[in-house]
Amino acid sequence: MMSEHNKSAGTLHRTGKKKAVRYIPLYLMAFPGMLYLFVNNYMPLPGLILAFKKYSARKGIFGSKFVGFKNFKYLFATQDAFIITRNTICYNIVFIIVNTVCAIFVAILLAEMTSKVKKLYQSLILLPYMISMVIVSYLVFGFLSTENGFFNNTILKAFGAAPVSWYMEKKYWPFILVFVNTWKSIGYNCVIYLATILSFDRSIYESAAIDGASKWQQIRKITVPLLKPTIIMLTLLAVGRIFYSDFGLFYQVPQNQGALFSVTNTIDTYVYRGLLESGDMAMSSAAGLYQSIVGFILVLGANLLVRKIEPDSALF
Amino acid sequence: MKKKIVSVLLCMVTVTSMLGGCGSAGTQSGAAASDTAKEAVAGASKSADSASAVSADASSGSSALSADAQQAIADRKAKAQKDGKYEKIVVSFFDWTGKPAGLDRINADICKYTEDALGLDVELQIIDSAAYGDDMKLMLSSGEQVDLFSTCALGYNVCINNGYVMDLEEDDLLSKYGTGISAAVRKDYLDACRVGGTLYGIPPIKDYAIQTAAVCIGQEYLDGIGYDYSSLQADNLGYAKVTWDDINGIFKQLHTKYPDKFVMAIQDNGLSQGSSVDPVGGDYYGGLLDPQNSLKVEDVYTSDTFKEWCQRAYDWNQAGYISQDALTDDTGASAKVKSGSYMAMMACSKPGYKTQISGECGRDMAVFDVGNSFMSSSSVSAFPWCINQNTEDPVAAMQVLNALYSDPVLSNYLCWGEEGKEYKVNSDTSITYADGVDANNSQYYPNVLWMMPNPYVAHVWQGDPLDIGQQMATFNDSCECKSKALGFTWDNSDVSSEYTALKNAYDQYAPQVVFGFTAPEEGIKQLDDALKAAGLDDYMAAKQEALDKWAKESGVQ
Repeated sequence: MMSEHNKSAGTLHRTGKKKAVRYIPLYLMAFPGMLYLFVNNYMPLPGLILAFKKYSARKGIFGSKFVGFKNFKYLFATQDAFIITRNTICYNIVFIIVNTVCAIFVAILLAEMTSKVKKLYQSLILLPYMISMVIVSYLVFGFLSTENGFFNNTILKAFGAAPVSWYMEKKYWPFILVFVNTWKSIGYNCVIYLATILSFDRSIYESAAIDGASKWQQIRKITVPLLKPTIIMLTLLAVGRIFYSDFGLFYQVPQNQGALFSVTNTIDTYVYRGLLESGDMAMSSAAGLYQSIVGFILVLGANLLVRKIEPDSALF
Repeated sequence: MKKKIVSVLLCMVTVTSMLGGCGSAGTQSGAAASDTAKEAVAGASKSADSASAVSADASSGSSALSADAQQAIADRKAKAQKDGKYEKIVVSFFDWTGKPAGLDRINADICKYTEDALGLDVELQIIDSAAYGDDMKLMLSSGEQVDLFSTCALGYNVCINNGYVMDLEEDDLLSKYGTGISAAVRKDYLDACRVGGTLYGIPPIKDYAIQTAAVCIGQEYLDGIGYDYSSLQADNLGYAKVTWDDINGIFKQLHTKYPDKFVMAIQDNGLSQGSSVDPVGGDYYGGLLDPQNSLKVEDVYTSDTFKEWCQRAYDWNQAGYISQDALTDDTGASAKVKSGSYMAMMACSKPGYKTQISGECGRDMAVFDVGNSFMSSSSVSAFPWCINQNTEDPVAAMQVLNALYSDPVLSNYLCWGEEGKEYKVNSDTSITYADGVDANNSQYYPNVLWMMPNPYVAHVWQGDPLDIGQQMATFNDSCECKSKALGFTWDNSDVSSEYTALKNAYDQYAPQVVFGFTAPEEGIKQLDDALKAAGLDDYMAAKQEALDKWAKESGVQ
């Protein structure tokens, strides 16, 4: 009995060891990524204490004076706090919804395509993602410039409408920003959905077709339900970054225009403008810490919710 | 199902790390900052060791001043003979175009000279102006070698608040090794750089006073409307003294004659270059409206001066002198004039300004003086030269700084490059480009003379008066309106949340009214309401308190 137990434990141990040996190449492949993750994301963690200090290079991070939550005050002290928080969250919610819907739509279109030009379309859609936000901001400026812009000089002229000072009228900007964001990120977002759709078992579609399901029914009844776990996962990840904003989009694209601040100022741009001259490291780490903690709580909360409703799709 | 999710997740991470190189700027810079800061801890303890070693050396030296310096040089030479190489001092500043092509050659020339004169090597590190502030902050906090640097673009107060710079009078550094500095920079200008009684930097020798509101108009456009500049009465700098009515008259003719060009390349400099309001403490959120006579911090944006500027901009805008894209186009005014689409700009002048602005605008410019001379509280302490607190050898750094203020050979290399390669000397000792060289193909032409420690011990460029150094000194001394708060500097970190809010409120409401897109009455009210809501009164009170304390300590009435 005893020996048998030992023996079985031994085999278990051996297979475990065997498995480990077999996976060595995979571990090796993962190593650089893990190392990067460790160096970039874990090693700086002790530095978070900077957010609670009055930083002096002479004394160093750990030697600097401890000041408690003073560095966080500027994020909440003024009437801007509400505006920047509202803008950051609301834009991100809109982005999550619009991006998900558009990305799935485009992914399904691309998946249904069979012709040779599919690759070309895919690349063209991805192209804006590769363009730097600074360049995008000038493309937008090319359309919206008051003196020489395309809209004022061509389209509005053709309809006989008066030119618009785009960079002074804040009512247009929620739409412009959402449009630019969607145009820029749709190609990248749809890649993951497209890959997921292509991995679906084709035989499900074949049998559905034999049963007389139309294309529309196939999409509605097969593709979208199968995509659900991916949608949930990507949305969860996006929720975790809901307190961050795309700096380039909110700073460069509106050309840093004061008149538009009430609809374009987000936490990141506010922090940047306020600390640009003082270069206060402690205050900027305070902002970063605040954003990541709220993001962390939101991810945990959202995941909890998903686990309640549909345990299979929860991330952890 | 779970496995699938994990695999998709992993795949995404891979894609993200490939594509997302420039993704979340916030997190990345945050991580980088804390990394580098950590290194700084290690660096700081090391420098403390070396500093104590140095002070021991210094105290063992003889007591005579020049002997101290000579002893230090002799010690370094002896050490260099033993080690086979000289110790190196790195000097950082910026220029407009990045590292000059001939920098390595100039550095080699300088080393050849300083090895003999100072017993050390000097390396100039010239960084592009756009990157200088960020690069320097990283280098200063990461312990990379920078011994001497200009605080221009970095900010003197920022350097002090962050603890980047050392006390120049620690262990009698300045009095023992900086005799040339004390001779070149007057004591009251040195004192103007003290913060809380401590001297952290030496001001470059330059124009501390400004002649406010210099309207510069392209000569060719004036010729076009048949305007006779030479008939006007000149001020004591030699520029035509006119009134705003004269300027408006010229603008009107220019606009009629050249309807396709914009008259004015407007900038947000009405207060900073066009008025004698003193931005005491480093910003206009509370300033001295009558800096010559009063130390009362007042709301600048409800003042008549600000209102006049807004009204002027509004009138110009209504008359079509200003581009409708002025708010979004942040190209520099001189570059706009250079482009040929704009005819005039406003800045502040000083001796030799006509040469400078004509160079910047790429055409002959006529300078009209509409203002008066003014020296603000921060004019001297705007961007002094500092020694890194992390430097290995403060004595050597101070001796190099001293040489930059007093040694013509070194200053010539720094300002102009190598004789025969970059410049040639005329018979009257002024210099010009060497044969076959111009501003575009010169291998060393930093063009930041105003930032150099002491350009007036070096050669004078052809076209400028040979006694320009003297003229500049006279210009500074004869300034009619010197701020009473000259030398006051302020650490605003106790009210930094208010500052952040004020800056955002200003950015939100000021540009429209400053560039004349909204009527002054309405625009100023909006701006001032926003500033008040952002805590202007508290901020001003804190500033006033610091100013009063400073005035009491330094005996200013």
